Amino acid sequence: MATTACFIIVSRNDIPIYEAEVGSAAKREDAAQLHQFILHAALDIVQDLAWTTSAMYLKAVDRFNDLVVSAYVTADTHTRLMLLHDSRNDDGIKSFFQEVHELYIKTLLNPTYLPGSRITSSHFDTKVRALARKYL
Amino acid sequence: MVDPANTPLGKMLLEEITPVVMVLRTPLVEEACQKNGLTFVQMLRPFCVFNNFDVPVRTASDQPYRLQKFRLRLFYDSDVRQPNLEVSKERLKQVITQAGEKDLSELCSELPQITNALSRSESEALPLWFQFFNKELVHTVSFSDHEAFDHPVACLVVVSSKDDQPINRFVDLFNSNKLPSLLNNGAMDPKILKHYLLVHDNQEGSSEKATKILSEMRSTFSSDCELLCINSSPDGVVEHQDNPWVLYSSEDLPSQPLRCFLNVDDFNEIKDLMQDFSSKHIIPYMEQKIRVLNQQVSATRKGFRNQIKNLWWRKGKEDVVDSPSGPTYTFSSIESQIRVLGDYAFMLRDYELALSNYRLISTDYKLDKAWKRFAGTQEMMGLAYFMLDQSRKEAESCMDTAFTYYLKYASSSQQNATRCGLWWVEMLKARYQYREAATVYFRVGAEEPLHSAVMLEQASYCYLLSKPPMLHKYGFHLVLSGDRYKKCDQIKHAIRTYRSAMSVYEGTTWSHIKDHVHFHIGQWYALLGLYDLAVSHMLEVLACSHQSKTMQELFLRDFLEIVQKTGKTFEVSKLQLPEINIPSLRVFFEDHRTYASSAAATVKERLWLSLEEEMVPSTSTARTNWLELQSKLIPKKYKESNVCVAGEAVKVDIEFKNPLQIPLLLSSVSLICELSASSDEMRSDANSSSVGLQNNDESTKLNHRDVDSENSLFSLSDVDFSLGGGETTVVQLTVTPREEGVLQIVGVKWKLSGFVVGFHNFDTSPVNMSGKQRQKANHPRSINLKFAVVKSLPKLEGVIHPLPKRAYAGDLRHLVLELKNQSEFSVKNLKMKISHPRFLNVGKRESLNAKFPACLEKKISQDSDIHSDSDVSHTVFLFPEDTTIQGETPLLWPLWFRAALPGNISLHISIYYEMGDISSAIRYRTLRMQYNLQVLPSLDVSFQISPCPSRLREFLVRMDVVNKTSSESFQVHQLSSVGHKWEISLLQPVDAIFRSQSLMAHQALSCFFLLKNRSKPSTSEDGTSACSPLLGSDVRLGTEGSCGPLFDIASSPLVDFHHCERLQQEISHKGDVNTVDFILISRPLKSDTYPVVSDPPHLFSHHACHCSTESTSPISWLVDGPRTVYHNFSASFCEINFHMTIYNSSDVTASVCIKTFNSTNNGDHLSDATPVQPATSSSNQDGWHDLPLVNDIRVTSDVLGPRTGKSSSVESVSPFIWSGSSSTKVKLEPVSRTEIPLQVCVFSPGTYDLSNYVLHWNLLLSNGDGLRSSGTCQGYPYFLTVLQSV
Repeated sequence: MATTACFIIVSRNDIPIYEAEVGSAAKREDAAQLHQFILHAALDIVQDLAWTTSAMYLKAVDRFNDLVVSAYVTADTHTRLMLLHDSRNDDGIKSFFQEVHELYIKTLLNPTYLPGSRITSSHFDTKVRALARKYL
Repeated sequence: MVDPANTPLGKMLLEEITPVVMVLRTPLVEEACQKNGLTFVQMLRPFCVFNNFDVPVRTASDQPYRLQKFRLRLFYDSDVRQPNLEVSKERLKQVITQAGEKDLSELCSELPQITNALSRSESEALPLWFQFFNKELVHTVSFSDHEAFDHPVACLVVVSSKDDQPINRFVDLFNSNKLPSLLNNGAMDPKILKHYLLVHDNQEGSSEKATKILSEMRSTFSSDCELLCINSSPDGVVEHQDNPWVLYSSEDLPSQPLRCFLNVDDFNEIKDLMQDFSSKHIIPYMEQKIRVLNQQVSATRKGFRNQIKNLWWRKGKEDVVDSPSGPTYTFSSIESQIRVLGDYAFMLRDYELALSNYRLISTDYKLDKAWKRFAGTQEMMGLAYFMLDQSRKEAESCMDTAFTYYLKYASSSQQNATRCGLWWVEMLKARYQYREAATVYFRVGAEEPLHSAVMLEQASYCYLLSKPPMLHKYGFHLVLSGDRYKKCDQIKHAIRTYRSAMSVYEGTTWSHIKDHVHFHIGQWYALLGLYDLAVSHMLEVLACSHQSKTMQELFLRDFLEIVQKTGKTFEVSKLQLPEINIPSLRVFFEDHRTYASSAAATVKERLWLSLEEEMVPSTSTARTNWLELQSKLIPKKYKESNVCVAGEAVKVDIEFKNPLQIPLLLSSVSLICELSASSDEMRSDANSSSVGLQNNDESTKLNHRDVDSENSLFSLSDVDFSLGGGETTVVQLTVTPREEGVLQIVGVKWKLSGFVVGFHNFDTSPVNMSGKQRQKANHPRSINLKFAVVKSLPKLEGVIHPLPKRAYAGDLRHLVLELKNQSEFSVKNLKMKISHPRFLNVGKRESLNAKFPACLEKKISQDSDIHSDSDVSHTVFLFPEDTTIQGETPLLWPLWFRAALPGNISLHISIYYEMGDISSAIRYRTLRMQYNLQVLPSLDVSFQISPCPSRLREFLVRMDVVNKTSSESFQVHQLSSVGHKWEISLLQPVDAIFRSQSLMAHQALSCFFLLKNRSKPSTSEDGTSACSPLLGSDVRLGTEGSCGPLFDIASSPLVDFHHCERLQQEISHKGDVNTVDFILISRPLKSDTYPVVSDPPHLFSHHACHCSTESTSPISWLVDGPRTVYHNFSASFCEINFHMTIYNSSDVTASVCIKTFNSTNNGDHLSDATPVQPATSSSNQDGWHDLPLVNDIRVTSDVLGPRTGKSSSVESVSPFIWSGSSSTKVKLEPVSRTEIPLQVCVFSPGTYDLSNYVLHWNLLLSNGDGLRSSGTCQGYPYFLTVLQSV
């Protein structure tokens, strides 16, 4: 089954620092911007929800038509991991977020990485895509 | 909590859900009203709103209550029907379009700021036409048959007094078949309350006739008759201060000014009429009806029995096949009656009663699966809950159900759903639940794109108004709405929404979002013909490297299309396509430094300066000289600027990068420059040029004009090229000033795909001038792009050909330096310096046409020409005094090239020349040439020299040659020793060494030579032989036929290069005089696979210098004496005399002590019986041949080592003893020899090894005191055979 999944990491000031289309669905031209729009719009909800719970994984926070936005907020609440998806694999998404969070922390530990800047590491990218294949 | 009635929804409901009065009138009535520009209904409408109303109402309950406000809705009979869907759609579209037109001026204004949007209150933020649109949308579903509140409660029959037979007209009006279908098809009770009204126009005559008719009416239709007199104003226009028609719903009215014949009396009359009508007729009628219906309902439906019955009955009914629109309920059915009861109660604001009835009926409808009616009752329930202000949850769930059922189950009731949604939204808004309201908006009107566009826009405002504002959602919904507007061709609305959205997305790093918004808004502006705005937005998306290729193509194509449509060449500052890498900007210009190639210009200035140090006039004086000259010509102001020469190009390297994946076509890439020509008064000119600069910053048009008008002053290069996807290209642009003055390079401009002119001004503000100031040729960042142009000067151009790019080490070639001077002025006083004399050497003029390598061959009659200038290499080469270069004839000069070392090397050559014309601003110039070449390793030659043990002053030379190339074969041609002190000869015939005549790739070769010192043995005056001319001895290493004649190592290039090599290799061989230099000459073998290699005649020379002939000790000795002695031992023991020749090869006095010891006191001594062969150090080396002469070869360095090996001797008595002194001490002068006699006594025949002696030597310092070094040498074997003589 072709799934749509768009993963994004949003840093402080709503700046995206990592984007990846990890779904198996054939890519449509306008999909990329639609996904960005949906994820961008969901930031409001994430902002609201982040303060109502102590859990990092916020589950599905927003939806647009049949696309669901799940979010995961790191401890500083500035960095938000967001996934736009159309599948209902809640556990998988949670695991995915946790592992990507771990990866992100490793990236943060890299002294040459400036927090808040774009993650350009190809290693990170491959790992995220592998995790997406595994869990989503 | 606000009173529900005061909320927008409450007001709306009080406005919309009110009794409807159907108006039937004759045309004459209308005519009378039209005198005022109003229809009859319009005339009455303002007076149907009763805000000061106090009517007691008693519905089902006994408790009366009072209505404070009331209103009626008047409709003509023709309007009392369900509006046509298409017409209403068209009408809505018109509303939207009109609203769009109004905003046109705003579209061109500045972009809205999000802070402004936030600070505005709700009423300001929302466009006004939303309310109107919503109302229109609600009206599209009026007069549906399932809702009773739109059914006329009463009928107003109006006849004019002018009509003939008014009574009949009254009857005719109502009985005609033109009544609305609602009344006819049984949806409602056709027996409704009728009210008869006679309209009298006062202008038509007195009201007497009217009163007569009225009384007639009264008698006919009982009491429900009224008379209305209008147009009482006799003389026409009466201006009303507070025109009630203007205040009330102005949009319904024709726009022309009201010609009003109505005076205050008429107003009051209408008002009284309507008030009476509603309070005395309509309300009581409704009250009564409610009571009647309530009784009926109670009788049939209330109570346990009725409920059971009802349930049972419904169940039975389930089997009945439903008609497509659900079961029809006529007005007489109990369901309809309950609904009417509920609606009437709602209209009379008895919400409790209404609610209970709605509840009752909704279950019935649900059981009947009459979904539309069910949804309708749910909707009313929700509204009733809301108006009661209790149980919000109930209200919302009712609305939700209603909305869902309208959409899901009831066919063709989307309008109802829309209306329901709108009411729901208002309900949520009234409770400040903006977020929920927004989601409802989102659901409303999902079918109709135009409606949904408006709904989405309203949703976005809800997000904006929610606390805290949800700006992301606001932006997203605006964009969604904009897309839908666009689908419905409402471009102005689309732009408006996108512009609002832009306030959210401004400066966002969400690249796709930014691109989408800018691209679409740009497209839409273009559709409206606002090309300038369109282009400004399109520019934002051009550098979209993250987009896919097709998107990039789309963006670029649309952009170019729009630009084309503007019909002019568009000029854009800082156009993002292509990217210009400003830090990579490099400027090359030539003042007194000129460059033969661009590569030479990139070499660090420091290198050139150090190279030219000796050549150019000392910098301080030179600088003051030309600075003085310059300061005369150029005002102080430009002292900081660079100097360039008129007629010579200033080159600028700019790096263009294409960020896209699609190729870009760039044309007319050129510099933007300005040149203010120098005139006599420099001051004023300087001013004018600065003015020009300012202009340049302002507008681009001026730039163009400058270029055009000043085309005579300078010329620009024009480059066209295309950049492939992701490609980076460095483009060299030039500007050539033609006249003196001040040249300023302002920026660069280019044409993208032939339409768009982009330009980029270089930031010329001096930022970081410290430190780097003098490094002019290579400006890293802030560049001084101002040039003082001086008069044109002669300029030399030079080229060396054919300098190879790649050569094997040792390659010797003959090159020619060609110098040209294009100008008519001559240059003189030429000097040249070469950075690597090892690689490049200046030849003599005569050898220019010499044939290489024949010129190197040894002449038969060799006259030893002495090279007086052999050490020219490290100094400046001066061309002959009379050398001038002018005009067409180039100067040719021979150069010798030899690839000295493997590796990559850049050769720098600088040629200094002075101007023939002394008056020029620059007196001298230098031509700098640079060549890079790669030298590959070829033959690796090493020599090892050891003294020949058998002969003093003779040496054995071992030459190891390894071919390190991967494919080349070499033919070793000759080996020469340098200097007449040495003579070299072969140990073996050539054939024995080189059987194959060539050295293949990777092959190694060793061969041995004998080297003789030919200098006088006792004298040491020829220690300076190194400086003497290179007369050497040569050994041919190959057959005469195959190799040709020998080469003369004393010929010009060889000796020069040898000298360089000597100097180079000298460092490691300090203070060693007994050294020998070898030159190995080889040629590449002509091979079939690489015939090209030997195309120009090649010669390889390998120089090995300062090969030491010394052993480890400065002392060498030779024991000389008989080898075989016959002696009759029976007579006596044998005494044999030897002499030892000791040679001191060091340059200081040495004292040598010879100690002999006999075997008796040296247990370690070797047995005589075992002839010892000294080990050689090179036993493990390749190519080492076991030569028959091995006994004579001894490697001195190994003498001491193996000699101490254990070989325990059992003999206690030595078979021989050293006689004479056991220790002899001699003093040896530097480089001298002495002979010492030795004697042994042999007692029995045998073969003896006379090696049991030791030489201790001390080198004394020249002044005699103290030791410099000392050492001990063990004797080496000397085998003596003593035989018994017969």
